[in-house]
Amino acid sequence: MSNPLRDPRDRRLPRVPDPCVLVVFGVTGDLARKKLIPAVYDLANRGLLPPGFVLLGFARRDWGDGDFESVAKEAARKGARTEFKDEVWQRLAEAIRFLPGSFDDDRAFDTLASTLTELDGTHGTQGNAAFYLSIPPSAFPIVLQQMERTGMADNSRSGGWRRVVVEKPFGHDLPSSQELNNLVDKVFTAHDVFRIDHYLGKETVQNMLALRFANELFEPIWNAHHIDSVQITMAEDVGIESRAAFYEQTGAARDVLQNHLLQLMALTAMEEPASFDAESLRIEKRKVLSAIKPPKDLAAYAVRGQYDQGWLAGQRVQAYRAEKDVAADSRTETFAAVRLEVESRRWAGVPFYLRTGKRLPRRVTEIAVLFRKAPHLPFAKTDTEELGSNQLVVRVQPDEGMTLRFGSKVPGSAMEVRDVAMDFLYGEAFTESSPEAYERLLLDVLLGDASLFPHNQEVEDSWRVIDPIEKWWAEQNDSGGEPELYRAGEWGPKGADDMLARDGRTWRRP
Amino acid sequence: VTTLWDTTGTAVVKALAAERRQAGSVSSGLALTLVVVVDEKNVADAEAAATRAAAQHPCRLLVVVRRRPDAPEPRLDAEVLIGGRLGPGEAVVMRMYGRLALHAESVVLPLLAPDAPVVTWWYGEPPNRIAHDPLGVFADRRITDCSLAADEIAALHRRAEDYAPGDTDLGWTRTTLWRALCASAFDSVQGPVTSARVGGAPGHVTRALLAGWLQRRLGVDVQVDDLEGTGLSVVEITAGDVTVSVTRGKGSGAQLTRTGQPDRTLPLPRRELGDLLAEELRRLDPDEVYAEALEAATGSSGLADRSAHRTHIWHDPVESDDPDPALTVT
Repeated sequence: MSNPLRDPRDRRLPRVPDPCVLVVFGVTGDLARKKLIPAVYDLANRGLLPPGFVLLGFARRDWGDGDFESVAKEAARKGARTEFKDEVWQRLAEAIRFLPGSFDDDRAFDTLASTLTELDGTHGTQGNAAFYLSIPPSAFPIVLQQMERTGMADNSRSGGWRRVVVEKPFGHDLPSSQELNNLVDKVFTAHDVFRIDHYLGKETVQNMLALRFANELFEPIWNAHHIDSVQITMAEDVGIESRAAFYEQTGAARDVLQNHLLQLMALTAMEEPASFDAESLRIEKRKVLSAIKPPKDLAAYAVRGQYDQGWLAGQRVQAYRAEKDVAADSRTETFAAVRLEVESRRWAGVPFYLRTGKRLPRRVTEIAVLFRKAPHLPFAKTDTEELGSNQLVVRVQPDEGMTLRFGSKVPGSAMEVRDVAMDFLYGEAFTESSPEAYERLLLDVLLGDASLFPHNQEVEDSWRVIDPIEKWWAEQNDSGGEPELYRAGEWGPKGADDMLARDGRTWRRP
Repeated sequence: VTTLWDTTGTAVVKALAAERRQAGSVSSGLALTLVVVVDEKNVADAEAAATRAAAQHPCRLLVVVRRRPDAPEPRLDAEVLIGGRLGPGEAVVMRMYGRLALHAESVVLPLLAPDAPVVTWWYGEPPNRIAHDPLGVFADRRITDCSLAADEIAALHRRAEDYAPGDTDLGWTRTTLWRALCASAFDSVQGPVTSARVGGAPGHVTRALLAGWLQRRLGVDVQVDDLEGTGLSVVEITAGDVTVSVTRGKGSGAQLTRTGQPDRTLPLPRRELGDLLAEELRRLDPDEVYAEALEAATGSSGLADRSAHRTHIWHDPVESDDPDPALTVT
């Protein structure tokens, strides 16, 4: 029987998950301290955690519950979005546990399994648990085997639900991602696996769907008849920071293009889903992802670059190859730009230009839809010289919002048309602080709502796009090629500009 | 800040436009206009609450203070602020003297943000009839607060008699956290409910609405107990041999008890006025769940079927034997 106190019309009541345990593996790591623990605190502060909630940390540290609690408190105080209140923390602290152990230690996992059963009695968690794997991918197999051995991942044995949360990278190419997916899906059932792509938790990304499918204004012109091209940019001003070992193996295409940019592209290009549940969204996203084809002329339409030394934001920064733990002759790309197409009636002939890079002038992520020029301009040529193409830009970060650019008459006696911009700032029309992506996604995991998580097949489809590009670059490396250098603090290598110039276009400056 | 003494509505509109130009594009994303009707002595509290709510829902804030309707000469004083003490948005504080106080809409109407929803909030004793106040007639949503009335329960009955879809009361907003706790405590309980009990201060409007809501949702008569203390103290629901209860503890916590399970402490903060107001601004469509709770609490029916539109009824508080508090005079 459903709860009579819950009424779909009653939208004041928050959705609160079932009682459950959140088990975090690798709880001492950066991600857990900077994102996860603050997100848990913010959820608690907003009253969105269930009465029976337990946060259980697992890591190779000689800690007790209290040690972990004080570390977690510090992390929450530093990273929380909402105001830090001691009383909220006090209540959360009662439900914080720590288990020391390494991943190959059978005893530690046996203790973990029995602790989970114990918590069902003491905290009423009803067998529900979510396992957050905040660990390097190389440790996945052993942790998953341990879970399988102890039966921890088994829904029917636990009597509740058991879910697992995996962070990117989801493999490094198609075969490795398939292997990983098989492994995870074997231990858990496929719909209990949540792959976090934190970009999909951002309000603006979800707003893309509202913009397209809740309005009459945009969808009729959202096709090759009216759209000239689409540019999707994710630029970072930082370098690789302390992630040299990871980045040397990965590069910009695998790190960003394969997941964030292709997901943004899928949301921009997908057809209208039958409804907004996870399954319908997946169907449409998969359809469009499988219609994306890698460029045929890879030499012309897959550009890679690597930052050289330069000046950024008034400071001198070193070249990628001079970064700590990076090989002096490294050929890892820190910038990637590709031209992709969607093979469908809606998008035939519309190029999607995707680019991402490190040490670019500023941190910005945006989707720019560039419209065709009006088929006929009843003005003298000189009147419209300053008129560009109409643009709709969705800013994902920072300054979440939208800009619409169109032509307008310049005041005066002459007829002169120039571009003007109309701006919508997300934070201005709605609540000033929208929840952090991790906060939203963590809540969705506990609620079992998978609509904002990429499915394993989406991940595999994305690798199908990226693999030929990576293979091409690897071949280039074998024959002595290397990424084109660009000065830190400029918008990527010259090759990226040439790529658009070849099509008679230019990059939009974000 | 522009301060205008003994001015006209047209001058206020001009001053607002001038302030907007100076401030640049601050107000491109206005979601609504919030009209606050308040006494002189409560202006500071109302401003603080509205500012807090406006931080979450950017709005144009119009504060109307009615003064001395018996003054011989009508007069308007106004203060226009953008990005000042009333938060980042636009705000106009107006003091209306003499007969102008009964025609406040003549100043307010041209100041409403174009085509955006209007919310009117009476911070004071609720009106006897909202139709008496033109500032309530053109609003899409009307917020009263029965807890500020001398007799809260009588005020609640008047709200039911006068109800139109789009009305709401902060006494109802104060039930939200309690209702959320009850709902999540009850999530895993099976079987039909056999009894329910609500305890709190006598004559308390939030207690009455919570009991009404439980009665409507659970389909059982809800026992209402008088207890000491302020506001609500306890809710208890029994289904077969399982009893769940939520009890307000000391400070900002509540004790959750359930048969066969350990007790838990959960957050139950007393929220500031501004946060209550912000919750009301989140949704601007009629709240059917409130209408049902109000029906059950006052024994009335058919509230949701009434017309959402009111027609202004002329009411002169100076000549009336029963002056409507909506047209508050200070």
